[in-house]
Amino acid sequence: MTKKDIAQILVGIDGNTVLSGARKIKTKLITEINKQGLLDQVSVIETGSIGPVNKGVVIGIYPTREIYGNVTENDISEFIQERFIKGRPYKKLLLPEKLPIEIDLTAYDPRKTQYFGRIVLDNCGKINPEDIKEYIGVGGYEALGIALKEKTPEEIIEIVKNSGLRGRGGAGFPTGLKWSFAAKAKRIPKYVICNADEGEPGTFKDRLIMEGDPHKILEGMAICGYAIGANTGYIYIRGEYQLSIQRLKKAIKDAEKLGLLGKNILGTDFDFEVKIKIGAGSYVCGEETTLLNSMEGFRGEPRLKPPFPAESGFLSHPTNVNNVETFANIAPIVLNGAEWFKKFGTKDSPGTKVYTILGHINRPGLIEVSMGITLREIIYDYAGGISSGSFKMAQIGGTAGNILSSEFLDVPLDFESLRKLGYSLGSGAILIMNETVSVVDFMKCCIKFFVHESCGKCTPCREGTKYIYEILDKISSGKGKTGDLETLKLLGKSMKDTSFCPLGQSAPNSLLDTLKLFPEEYNQILRK
Amino acid sequence: MKEVKITIDGQEVMAQEGKTILEIAIEAGIKIPTLCAMPELGFTPGSCRVCVVEVEGAPTLVASCVYPVREGLIIHTKSERVLQARRIVLELLIASHPLDCMTCEKNGDCVLEDLAYELGVKESRFGRIERKLPLDESNPFIVRDLNKCVLCRRCVEICNEIQQTYAINFGYRSSKTKVIADGDNGLRYSECVSCGQCVAVCPVGALIDKAAQGKGRTWEFTKVKTTCNYCGCGCNFDFNVKEGKVIKVTSNPESVVNGINLCVKGRFGYDYIHRDDRLTTPLIKKNGKFEKASWEEAYQLISDKFTQIKKESGSDSLAVLSSAKCTNEENYLLMKFSRAVLGTNNVDHCARLCHSATVAGLAQAFGSGAMTNSIKEIADASAIYLTGSNTTENHPIIALEIKKAVTKNGAKLIVADPREIELAKYATLWLRQRPGTDVALFNGLMNVIINEGLEDKEFIAQRTEGYEELKKTVLKYTPEVVEKITGVPADDIRKAARIYATAPTTSLIYSMGITQHTTGTDNVLSTANIAMLTGNVGKESAGVNPLRGQSNVQGACDLGALPNFYSGYQKVTDSQVKDKFSKAWGVDLSDKVGLTVVEILNAAYEGKIKSIFVMAENPAMSDPDLNHAREALKKTEFLVVSDVFMTETAELADVVLPGVTIAEKDGTITNTERRVQRIRKAIEPIGDSKPEWKIICELSQKMGYNMNYNNPGEIMEEISQLTPIYGGIHYNRLDDGGLQWPCPDAHHPGTKYLHKDKFSRGKGKFFAVEFKEAAELPDEEYPFIFTTGRVLYHFHTGTITRRSKGLNEIYPEALVEINPQDAEELGVKEGEFVEVASRRGKIKAKVQVTEKSGKGVVFMSFHFHEAAANLLTNSALDPVSKIPEYKVCAVKIQKIS
Amino acid sequence: MTVKDIVNKYKNKRENLLLILHEIQNCHPQNYLSKEDIELLSKEIKIPVSDIVGTASFYSMFSFTPRGKYIIRVCESLPCHLLGAQTIFKAIETKLGIKEGETTKDGLFTLEGTSCLGICSVAPAIMINDEAYGNLDEEKIGKILDQIREKESKNND
Ligand SMILES: Nc1nc2c(c(=O)[nH]1)N[C@H]1C(S)=C(S)[C@@H](COP(=O)(O)OP(=O)(O)OC[C@H]3O[C@@H](n4cnc5c(=O)[nH]c(N)nc54)[C@H](O)[C@@H]3O)O[C@H]1N2
Ligand SMILES: Nc1nc2c(c(=O)[nH]1)N[C@H]1C(S)=C(S)[C@@H](COP(=O)(O)OP(=O)(O)OC[C@H]3O[C@@H](n4cnc5c(=O)[nH]c(N)nc54)[C@H](O)[C@@H]3O)O[C@H]1N2
Ligand SMILES: Cc1cc2nc3c(=O)[nH]c(=O)nc-3n(C[C@H](O)[C@H](O)[C@H](O)COP(=O)(O)O)c2cc1C
Ligand code: SF4
Ligand code: SF4
Ligand code: SF4
Ligand code: SF4
Ligand code: SF4
Ligand code: FES
Ligand code: FES
Ligand SMILES: [Mo]
Repeated sequence: MTKKDIAQILVGIDGNTVLSGARKIKTKLITEINKQGLLDQVSVIETGSIGPVNKGVVIGIYPTREIYGNVTENDISEFIQERFIKGRPYKKLLLPEKLPIEIDLTAYDPRKTQYFGRIVLDNCGKINPEDIKEYIGVGGYEALGIALKEKTPEEIIEIVKNSGLRGRGGAGFPTGLKWSFAAKAKRIPKYVICNADEGEPGTFKDRLIMEGDPHKILEGMAICGYAIGANTGYIYIRGEYQLSIQRLKKAIKDAEKLGLLGKNILGTDFDFEVKIKIGAGSYVCGEETTLLNSMEGFRGEPRLKPPFPAESGFLSHPTNVNNVETFANIAPIVLNGAEWFKKFGTKDSPGTKVYTILGHINRPGLIEVSMGITLREIIYDYAGGISSGSFKMAQIGGTAGNILSSEFLDVPLDFESLRKLGYSLGSGAILIMNETVSVVDFMKCCIKFFVHESCGKCTPCREGTKYIYEILDKISSGKGKTGDLETLKLLGKSMKDTSFCPLGQSAPNSLLDTLKLFPEEYNQILRK
Repeated sequence: MKEVKITIDGQEVMAQEGKTILEIAIEAGIKIPTLCAMPELGFTPGSCRVCVVEVEGAPTLVASCVYPVREGLIIHTKSERVLQARRIVLELLIASHPLDCMTCEKNGDCVLEDLAYELGVKESRFGRIERKLPLDESNPFIVRDLNKCVLCRRCVEICNEIQQTYAINFGYRSSKTKVIADGDNGLRYSECVSCGQCVAVCPVGALIDKAAQGKGRTWEFTKVKTTCNYCGCGCNFDFNVKEGKVIKVTSNPESVVNGINLCVKGRFGYDYIHRDDRLTTPLIKKNGKFEKASWEEAYQLISDKFTQIKKESGSDSLAVLSSAKCTNEENYLLMKFSRAVLGTNNVDHCARLCHSATVAGLAQAFGSGAMTNSIKEIADASAIYLTGSNTTENHPIIALEIKKAVTKNGAKLIVADPREIELAKYATLWLRQRPGTDVALFNGLMNVIINEGLEDKEFIAQRTEGYEELKKTVLKYTPEVVEKITGVPADDIRKAARIYATAPTTSLIYSMGITQHTTGTDNVLSTANIAMLTGNVGKESAGVNPLRGQSNVQGACDLGALPNFYSGYQKVTDSQVKDKFSKAWGVDLSDKVGLTVVEILNAAYEGKIKSIFVMAENPAMSDPDLNHAREALKKTEFLVVSDVFMTETAELADVVLPGVTIAEKDGTITNTERRVQRIRKAIEPIGDSKPEWKIICELSQKMGYNMNYNNPGEIMEEISQLTPIYGGIHYNRLDDGGLQWPCPDAHHPGTKYLHKDKFSRGKGKFFAVEFKEAAELPDEEYPFIFTTGRVLYHFHTGTITRRSKGLNEIYPEALVEINPQDAEELGVKEGEFVEVASRRGKIKAKVQVTEKSGKGVVFMSFHFHEAAANLLTNSALDPVSKIPEYKVCAVKIQKIS
Repeated sequence: MTVKDIVNKYKNKRENLLLILHEIQNCHPQNYLSKEDIELLSKEIKIPVSDIVGTASFYSMFSFTPRGKYIIRVCESLPCHLLGAQTIFKAIETKLGIKEGETTKDGLFTLEGTSCLGICSVAPAIMINDEAYGNLDEEKIGKILDQIREKESKNND
């Protein structure tokens, strides 16, 4: 908060709100405030996602923290009148959610962290993502300063290791350990790569992090660069994420101007620059070795491992790849310490997790909650319950993820608990479905995705996805035959067992789960 | 490497850590099926998943071809889980595969078929989705049926990593993935050079030899291992023979020189063997027309005529042209025939038109005139100076080694060539000199090397002589002076000199751009100078490497088809040598050096040579200034030609004898790296034709000289006794990859590179050479430099390649390559016709506008009789080696409307 | 910008191939990678045509056939599918009279299916060039397309 404002209006500018006309609303707000002579009392600030999605243009007011949704141009004049001249909430558009406030985390039950007490999304909707000063104003780049001036690279890696942070890109690999591999590698230059390809259907958390708080990612990357001995970072963003690209580009420029990126950062002898690479429409490019091929300008096919990226990655140099959300956790960890971080989440999976929750629920959107929270809590505490009908199943981790039916509603969602069930947490997408969803139709759509996105390199995945789809299609059009389910199972298992990369290995997850959980539904169609 | 203990199918074995499971399994005698991997070529993409095995503790199966072993692995290669997975993979592959094994060319030699058999897979349980891709038959040699493609990527690998043509790649993704040519066009319209490497490695019937389609199943073929008879690379391959016919050529990784690689001519250019216009009986010209004759008649006539001319005009009015297309044994016999039967040293062959300057120059400088190093060493050179060799077109397999050196081993390549040849793309520096100015260029390079103190002082001091004189001369050639002469920027000269002198090993490779000049010998001496100056002789991956042209031009020289040497470069003027041969052959011999090719024709023109026996050469197309040469041939009293086709030269003959191709005879030929290799008879001679060695023997008998051998092996025994450098060459030693001479005795392993501790002549000798201009330079009337050479798809006078269906289809007509600027000034466009004329003749040909030619320089090949380049060329000779100046003369060009 | 300028801008580096291709495609009025452009690119950047096309054809954002000024990409992934993506697809097909992969006769629109666009929160969603649109139904789609048409016809006046 800068001027002697009595109030700030935050306009959430993100991919969702922009298409409802958020930019126009912002201009209109300023004009109107001007008209009313309120310029020195009310300021209008652009920010990232404020939280509620699917609610048109969303704006929030500080310090009162109320949120308005579905704001249209026609509302503005009346809104300013009501809210700032008459000084009362504008009921017509008021939403139930509240803006986050800064609170003392140590005093808080970290299991509930929705719109407050967040780590990753802490600044989202609070600061103007296009203004680096605001980021600095809330403690941004302090962690980088501490790292460069007070800690050795080894100490940083130790802190990250101790925090127990595990990669948020899906596989959950311990981040500190990964960094230590790249740190050990001898060859220079080394690279830090932020994986912002985010192609898993139903996942858009990374986008909202980038749109809402781009500097946090840059800061995390720079700290990583310092820790492993890299001077160049790349962010690989999918081509569709235009706003993220713009915001990150601006953020990089601003940080460079202030000496927070570039040469001699904060007066130390550490140099770190960040560049942006743009994808071109391919899901498998999110897989880290594929990402490297794509970054080098080749077809998006995965590489053999070993060698691992830490040893031979981008342009055959040691490379550390982490997910956007992983990097967003770094500055808070360095700033607050490993012990602080471990207060969140579970023993094996400390910290929070950002989920995108979608499907037949009342409040779809983005949440950041503690690791270990259950599906039931997500649906009923955060998603506002099932929107119509009753819960049938949820797909967690996106299309490559697993299916949880009602008997799994109380399984804690964290890496270890799921691993014990043979499942994985995946990307953070949670798709909740009611009983109207036909399992076969659902599976067809799932597999169709892989039919498109398989890179085509290995036989089981290239051909397997095609034939699974073919068989499902036959089943759904009444041409299925006995034995089809066996064939599907065999094919699915075989793909898991023989595919070259995790795409093919995980593509049949949901198929195998639904065959196990809902065999009757398949059989019913077959019998018809 | 650490040894580790692993268990594989219950068997404990010690293995090197890091090797793949597949490698260890093979060592342990366990068979794991594979499809995509070609470990022998270092290619294991791990993508087909046919080779999966179970590793205890691993979450999934692993691909054995890429999975490295480490201590304690327990591996199962045949568990039910493994077999099941392989079956599924296979069923997935065949589910989209057109199972038409019954008519498929690949049947019997197909990896997919074998796998199905082995795993007992009859059909796919997954149903069937056909790909329905159209056949690609655009390329004259290769049929692509991508419906059968299993996407193993072997073809892409070999095309891009070994052949490095980049004609094909993987395109699209998911189940739409397919191999695309260029921007997904037909193969014909891509960069493809039709080498067929992709066909050779394709495990299934997706890539097929077009000409062999429907001509036989794999199991019907007998494979006969032999050596290619086109260029001097000396590639090995197998003739696939069925019912007395050569159906196709296949290659295999075991070949020493070329591995599985071949170029388009070697792989697809042998259909001429069975052309129905082969000469099948002797022909005698009566009243200007050829009539069929019996061998007896022909021999009698030739014997009578030769005897008569010898008696009337003396032995030296007779001459013999031997052949680099014939075997060592045949060349030996023909020179023996010339010297012992006809009594003259007037024996020569096309090496005169080719590398005589090399033989003359390197013999003076080093003491022997051959490629100092071996082909395989090129890939390991740290720098390569390539000059006057269009390697990718004329020595395609050697070009692969150069590409490998640059792209895989980081060598620096300097290309010095007036044309922008393909390898210029790979070059660190490309020097475009004005044709005919190489002496100046070399002197300039040496000037920089000496001025900057980069010469190898120790080498110069210990192993050479004549340095001071050289130094004096080259010091005049500063880069600036040389820039004026050659047109090469002074700075590039400096850069090139530094690379040449400072690289640990620099290999100098050259060919006709150096030799075919009136300054040919000077050019060659210059190559020797710079190599010695930088200490680059007598060590591995360095040296002076003239690329010999014809398949057996090295051998024809080695075996004495030269007017001044017996076999093994033993001088005819040396009385001890003469005595040795006299004794062995039981006749008196002449010690007078004979005439060379062009001299023979000139003498014929003047009536001094009355009769010529031409064995497998076509001087009426290949000699310079053809109007003159043809006239000379016509003027002979009696001309005998043996060949496999009715050539331009044979047309002029009085008697034509039907020889045979290499498919029809046994023998040896010697490639450019001095490797003596076998050719093997695959089929019976066509019609009444006879192998040349038999013809020569029978003719000698007829003329009263006893030449009697049962087979070429016996001839080689005689050769090895009389020829020190071939002393250890015996047929029973040649089965595995041949032997490189010098090979003095039966226990000698052959010689990889020459002049190791000592030059053949003792000390290496520097020759100070001054720059001289070419004999004929452009002027106002004839403003363009005309330079000639070859293209990939054709060979010399075209007698065989133009009879190869595919080769002629892909390159059907003569083209004049003109620089875009010149074309504009001349007002001609690509595809239009021009008349090209020199002081000696004129021709009409189609224009190709290309940056390949520099401004003011036009290039033509001499393959096309319809537009014979040699009607224009200059017959001016190098005074020492007598090589004609094919590379520079002056012409004018006119658009034909 | 010419192909040459674009290649220079990206320092002639293979690593920038995708960026270069994006830019070449964007510069083409018909939104695709033409044969001529690819050949020019191949010469400039010294990557063989087979390699460029092999690479570009892997990625769904590149096209080798001329496309409309506006590329409509309809998300077909699960979250959108569950909320009616197919209805949207059909609505557009009917409205524009083209099928997936086709371009309207006036050269204005091309219709493509795509995987998740990362705006599933407003499923069913589409993108038209770089603009995203969500919470769609038949009516909204109609309006959006009409608006674009209107804007274009104004531009043409
Ligand atoms: N396809 C095919 N292969 C062949 C043959 C064939 O006919 N066809 N023939 C075989 C035979 S016998 C031979 S001898 C070899 C010949 O093999 P090459 O010597 O490679 O063949 P040429 O085409 O004669 O061209 C030699 C090169 O010399 C360059 N050149 C021209 N003038 C000069 C000059 O003044 N200085 C320098 N430094 N370079 C110059 C030309 O630009 C050309 O690149 O090829 C053998 N291989
Ligand atoms: N303008 C110009 N002219 C040149 C050159 C140049 O660069 N420019 N290069 C010169 C050089 S380097 C060379 S080597 C000469 C080559 O000149 P030539 O040797 O005259 O040319 P080729 O066409 O190879 O002739 C070989 C003959 O052998 C026959 N033949 C082929 N295969 C076999 C076989 O297996 N058995 C038998 N018995 N006969 C066979 C062919 O039919 C052909 O008639 O050309 C020279 N002429
Ligand atoms: C098919 C596939 C797609 C993936 N997509 C992404 C992605 O979009 N973003 C991401 O961060 N990780 C993705 N991953 C995981 C990455 O391979 C890698 O594990 C991750 O980026 C590492 O970062 P982390 O350690 O911070 O999780 C994907 C993996 C696979 C197999
Ligand atoms: S599993 Fe195979 S085909 Fe599928 S994406 Fe991975 S490598 Fe490509
Ligand atoms: S490629 Fe092999 S499996 Fe396929 S049809 Fe031919 S022989 Fe049969
Ligand atoms: S024939 Fe040779 S150049 Fe042509 S595609 Fe096959 S490997 Fe490549
Ligand atoms: S064409 Fe043959 S070699 Fe090439 S990918 Fe297909 S099966 Fe393999
Ligand atoms: S490179 Fe020469 S020897 Fe080898 S196949 Fe080709 S023509 Fe024959
Ligand atoms: S042979 Fe090992 S994966 Fe193909
Ligand atoms: S599923 Fe449609 S945008 Fe994500
Ligand atoms: Mo030659």
